[in-house]
Amino acid sequence: MSTPSAVLKPPRWKSWRAHLHPLPYVLLLPTVFFVYLFTINPTFRVLRDSQIYYHPNLPARPKMTDLGLPGVPEEVRTLRGPHNVGLAYFRAFLDPSTRIGARFWRVMKNTLLYVVTTVPVSMLLAFIFAVLLNRTVRGIGWARMAFFYPTMLPMVSAATIWLFFFTPEYGLWNLMLEKFGYTGPQNWVINPKLALWSLVIVAIWKNAGYFMIFYLAGLQNLPTDVYEAAELDGAGWWSQMFRITLPLLHRTTLFVSVIAIIGAFQTIDHALVLTRELVTGEADLLLYEIYWQRFENADYGLANALTVTMIAILLVLTMLNFLISERNNA
Amino acid sequence: MKARLGVVLTLVVALLAGAVAVAPASAQDPIKVEVYFPISVDSPITDILNGYAETYEADHPGVDIVFSYEGGYGDVKNKLLTTMEGGGELPALAIMLATDIYDLRNAEAIMPWDDFVSEEYLSDFFPSWLANSYYDYDLDGTPELYSIPFQRSVVLMYTNMTLLEENGFELPTNWQELAETASALTTEDRWGILIPNSWPYWMFQPFAIGAGQNIVSESDTEVFFDTPAAVEALQFWVDLYEKYNATPAGVQSNWGDAPGLFADGSAAMILHSTGSMPSILSKADFDVAVSAVPGKDGGFATVTGGGNLYLVAGTDEETAQAAWEFVEWLTSPEMAVDWSINSGYLPTRMSGLELDAWKAHVEEVPQAADAVDALQYAGREFSVQSLGDVRNILHGYILKVLNGEMSPADALAAAQAEADDVLSVFK
Repeated sequence: MSTPSAVLKPPRWKSWRAHLHPLPYVLLLPTVFFVYLFTINPTFRVLRDSQIYYHPNLPARPKMTDLGLPGVPEEVRTLRGPHNVGLAYFRAFLDPSTRIGARFWRVMKNTLLYVVTTVPVSMLLAFIFAVLLNRTVRGIGWARMAFFYPTMLPMVSAATIWLFFFTPEYGLWNLMLEKFGYTGPQNWVINPKLALWSLVIVAIWKNAGYFMIFYLAGLQNLPTDVYEAAELDGAGWWSQMFRITLPLLHRTTLFVSVIAIIGAFQTIDHALVLTRELVTGEADLLLYEIYWQRFENADYGLANALTVTMIAILLVLTMLNFLISERNNA
Repeated sequence: MKARLGVVLTLVVALLAGAVAVAPASAQDPIKVEVYFPISVDSPITDILNGYAETYEADHPGVDIVFSYEGGYGDVKNKLLTTMEGGGELPALAIMLATDIYDLRNAEAIMPWDDFVSEEYLSDFFPSWLANSYYDYDLDGTPELYSIPFQRSVVLMYTNMTLLEENGFELPTNWQELAETASALTTEDRWGILIPNSWPYWMFQPFAIGAGQNIVSESDTEVFFDTPAAVEALQFWVDLYEKYNATPAGVQSNWGDAPGLFADGSAAMILHSTGSMPSILSKADFDVAVSAVPGKDGGFATVTGGGNLYLVAGTDEETAQAAWEFVEWLTSPEMAVDWSINSGYLPTRMSGLELDAWKAHVEEVPQAADAVDALQYAGREFSVQSLGDVRNILHGYILKVLNGEMSPADALAAAQAEADDVLSVFK
């Protein structure tokens, strides 16, 4: 590259202008508008409002109070709010000795337990189903539909069906367990010890078929020559599975695990149907807690702070996934 | 470009002008009184209410009654509060839980009825129905009336009398008899008694009252969870399965399943709402007795429940007046009785019992009279400030006891301490 050619280059504003094609931006505008309206704007509002104490179902008469939040000085104010409390909700989350903190950690524990059980189990089942269904036999289409069927049901209908299964005395689930000699508590959805597991069971049943579709697609795209070579080399079914199939499917696994984890944080429908009557918190998941604090307890600031926490968790998970898949691509 | 903008602006202005020109015509329209209402029982509520609206409008051409069905009680409350916050069009009336009075008034969602009601009007309501209607929000010593009783119920004990008589039992009159009868009637495929404990406070209150003390008083900032009466009541629940094997152990019985199990003979006695009476009586092929719950040493106890009519805050004077006139008609003795007969809720007006319609109904369904009878033993339903939180505390500890994790005394002492902590901010 020689210096004279640089002199011949058009002035910068001209080249900028030449690159500016307005049409793509115009076409993007509606999307940007709705993303702003329904994602960006609420995100920033919830960030701002997580610092505002507002409890509209409490009386608006002034009294001496610290609002029950750590780091908030006692002074004469209304219990109703709104009051600016800064990061008091997040300080409360970090301190399990406060009422809010204790509740927060119980919800986080439930949510974590829910995620680490539903995600691996439903993924494992999805993979097994996919392997079983990835063959050409008569009627395989029906079998695939049977496994995919739970996915097509809305979660609320699925939960309602399961609510009936979980019914004491005549529920299918209990009758089946009785055949295996189970004599424990029967009413799963309102029993503090079992309610969370009833949510886990329904979520696994509902999701395994959905994740199976991705594995099935992945399996059908695998190159056949590798398997032929492996067979010539005398590799058995197990070593083919663990040395060829699983490694080749790792991108599918990564994708499925991401949507599974994010999905697990975002489901609430089955909790509203199944464990709504269990009001003692043993089955409360993060999103359900947000709903409860906002609509049942009318503690707006707390609901907003919980929402910020949830957004932060999902953001970290998404970024982790991005980093891992980038590294794998390199 | 500018010219086009001009055209658009002209169009917008023209449209707006058109809208304004049309608007005055609507001033001739009748006054609209919208009512948000929930459905929580198994009767054709929508048909009944729409029929009432038609009847009323026929006599009052200047009023348009619109019943808006919004789901359950929780949905009505959430819809009202969300609409209020979003600045949407609000109804004039809403039927919401009697126990939500503090939440609703604190949220500035409701207005008092005091300017409309007369002493004479109020004195004809069964006093128990009004126990959750007053709130002294401004702390001036005179509580205001915020809700008018409408769809009300109590906890009833339903008894399979045919079965009891076959086995030589009479209707139990105290806890001892209740436990022994239930125990004797328990077989391999039948429970002596079912007490749904998925929403425990409502079923718990009749026992606490029956042992001598309710878990709430008139105060909105005080609870009585750890009294000897409450501890005895919870111990009795435990005894029913531990000592008498008369009911499923632990957290068991579900609200929705109990009436069906009773009606098909899988339970000799159940505790349930008056609201389930029509469906139980239509399904059961045996003699059903209803009563309040026997007290510890005799006597009876029960607790009220259900929804009241609230006047939504911000309703303009003209609409509020129209709404009140409709409410006055809707809660008149004649209508209260008609509503009770058709919906399964209890009558709200004492003079309604003198009407021929009620007498004819009682002739046909004698249990209805017994249900009204139970009302005299009803205590005030559990309602305090921060109800969601305080109720959750009580529920949590009751379930801990039923799951065998704590003794009734320890659990209720802990519940009292936690509830006091929540309520301390109001004192």
